[in-house]
Amino acid sequence: MIDPLMFLWPAFLVALCLVGIHAYFGILVLARKVIFVDLALAQIAALGATVAFMLGHPAQSFATYGYSLAFTLLAAVLLAFTRAWGTRVPQEALIGVIYVVAAAAAILLIERAPQGAEHLKQILTGNILTSGLNEVAGIVPLYAAIGLLHWLLRRQMSGTGALFWEFVFYASFGVVVTSSVAIAGVLLVFSFLIVPAAIGVMFASSLARQIVIGWIVGTITSAAGLAASFAFDLPTGAAMVCGFGGALAIAGLLYPFLRGNRQHALRVAIATVRWGFAVILAGSAIQLAAAPRADQPLLDMMEVAAPSLRALYFTRAEQTTFVEASDYAERYHMEAERLNSLEKRNRTEGVAFDDVSVARISSFLKSYGEMRKGEQFVMGEVRARARERVRWSVSLGLLALALASAPIRWRRLWTPGMGQARS
Amino acid sequence: MPDAEEHLGRGRQAVTKGMEAPPRAALPHVKSMVLRFAVIATWLALLSPGFAQERIQVVTTTTDLRSLTEAVGGDRIAAVNLVPASMDAEDYQPKPQDVLRLKNAHMLVRVGLDYDLWIDRLLVQAGKREIARGGPGYVDASFAIAALELRGMSVGPGDGHAHGSGNPHYWLDPKNAEIITGTILEALARIDPANAARYEANRLAFLARLRVKLVEWEEKLAPLKSTPIVAYHNSWPYFARRFRLDFAGFIETKPGVPPSPAHLAGIVKTMRERGVRIVVREPHEPDRDVAFVASKAGASVVILAASVGALPEASDYISLFDVNVEALKSAAAR
Ligand SMILES: [Zn+2]
Repeated sequence: MIDPLMFLWPAFLVALCLVGIHAYFGILVLARKVIFVDLALAQIAALGATVAFMLGHPAQSFATYGYSLAFTLLAAVLLAFTRAWGTRVPQEALIGVIYVVAAAAAILLIERAPQGAEHLKQILTGNILTSGLNEVAGIVPLYAAIGLLHWLLRRQMSGTGALFWEFVFYASFGVVVTSSVAIAGVLLVFSFLIVPAAIGVMFASSLARQIVIGWIVGTITSAAGLAASFAFDLPTGAAMVCGFGGALAIAGLLYPFLRGNRQHALRVAIATVRWGFAVILAGSAIQLAAAPRADQPLLDMMEVAAPSLRALYFTRAEQTTFVEASDYAERYHMEAERLNSLEKRNRTEGVAFDDVSVARISSFLKSYGEMRKGEQFVMGEVRARARERVRWSVSLGLLALALASAPIRWRRLWTPGMGQARS
Repeated sequence: MPDAEEHLGRGRQAVTKGMEAPPRAALPHVKSMVLRFAVIATWLALLSPGFAQERIQVVTTTTDLRSLTEAVGGDRIAAVNLVPASMDAEDYQPKPQDVLRLKNAHMLVRVGLDYDLWIDRLLVQAGKREIARGGPGYVDASFAIAALELRGMSVGPGDGHAHGSGNPHYWLDPKNAEIITGTILEALARIDPANAARYEANRLAFLARLRVKLVEWEEKLAPLKSTPIVAYHNSWPYFARRFRLDFAGFIETKPGVPPSPAHLAGIVKTMRERGVRIVVREPHEPDRDVAFVASKAGASVVILAASVGALPEASDYISLFDVNVEALKSAAAR
């Protein structure tokens, strides 16, 4: 049980470092309205590394890093210059173009040297789970230096200033993003950048408070994402990104309670939930009435949660058939797994099976698969027929529930003149 | 029509060679007309049956099948593979040129077992009855192969393959080459019956060479019998069965999904308990994740080629095994 923690704490340290610098940059990025600039810069850096690779430099060499840096600085110049465009064409448009062109150019280059594909993938899809103290040792001095530079230039950085300071901003941000994307991947770095900063901006107005809120949110969310990835056996980066999405959703839900009229917010929230239920119930009712044989997400979910619900609308014969088919399917599955593990053990243990025996095992496995598929077809057919039989009564019931759940003031609809009198 | 173009080119060469000897013609445009007639005449002669033997154009999805097809077809065929050697065939993105290659092909050889599903759509686009499913030039090399790890449509216990029709890396058992080349021979004899005897002789010579090599490989890998090994992707069950190796675990549980912390912890635990000292990676697989696991468990990383050409030294089917056997042997000796 302690083993996964052994992986998780270096990943957590890395996440702390990344949150530290990205929450700050995120606030500046939000202020400049250049949300996707990190994707563009990361892709440009990857393009630079690909060019270096094509020219014969090894993957982790000084030259490759130099090419990445040169490309990033070039992009920074471009971004600083086009700030002035803002009035006619949004700067986001240019950022998007830089991103897609850099991505496409890298693909074209790789077309010439396919062994570069994995190289490019590694630049853009880091895995925070397999990062560790080496990475921390690399990024801490870098981020500290950039942080210090920005503190010294804090007056020039906070506003949107002269061309040169814009260049400094994009160049330093490019250096940060290039290193972080290689460690944590594009998706997670984007989350580190935008979500803590957005929540900070939502709840505070001074830069210092925004950063502190961003750091707290980023730290808690990273820890929660890592814990969820461990507890539910999920890929770490993806779990953390979804965690950040959840954090933003919670902040969005809390905002009206903390910042507005609480009672009004509560009323709106309840109405929203009730409308949500009503729409789901009514949608399920229509789906069942119109296509009883198709997937019924609501009914399927309920049956998975409580299989005994089937007894409500299956006949006795249907129930027997369903249970038998399910038992047989399970039995074939177990038999196939038994044969599979027998064959696997035999690869190294005992006297090796000859090719004829292995061919026989293989054909048995194939038959078990077919038979299992047949039983699953029977189960689906039984259920579809039962649903066809009860389609009208159940969908009417669901519709009634939907109407009851919807926050409509029935009395006002039924009493003529009341609505006008009130208004 | 690359054949025609090729022949035209050849004809042109022959003609210009012939024209060099006589003294310069007085009128250049007469010369060019003579040239043109000569080109057309040569071209027609080359196209006529019996005069020149056209090479059979074969498209294979992977380099492994290309190598095996060349072993049977010899110099009577011209084979191209669609997936470049160093790419993962399981998520290949076809290119427009691939449709053209299929349109010009007389024969298509695919891996099957859901390994190269993308070829189905390309075949529809190419719209060539000859090499479509059921046509005389369509070869599914998995025909008659005893597939391992068949799981029906069920989700297996994370063995790295999304589909249940069996592990598709069957060419990594050298004995399966007998079956694969047999299927290829059948198709070639169907398309080009005149040369059937030649194809058969080619195949027998190749299998004889392979049999000698197999004994050598088995001897070299004998010390590794039951040595536990961990791999990134589950490419090796057929290889393991033939050479009696024990692949104890895989880092990747689902194609394209990074491993979860619990899974990585489980792998490292298995490695420590069973003393795994070798972690196998293919060249296109992420080296950081593999190096991470290897360093946690004190194992060394060995790069093996699961396909011809994935490593530069693995240039054909036989050298593919030579390279892998040598790499494993020297890793075990370390
Ligand atoms: Zn595979």
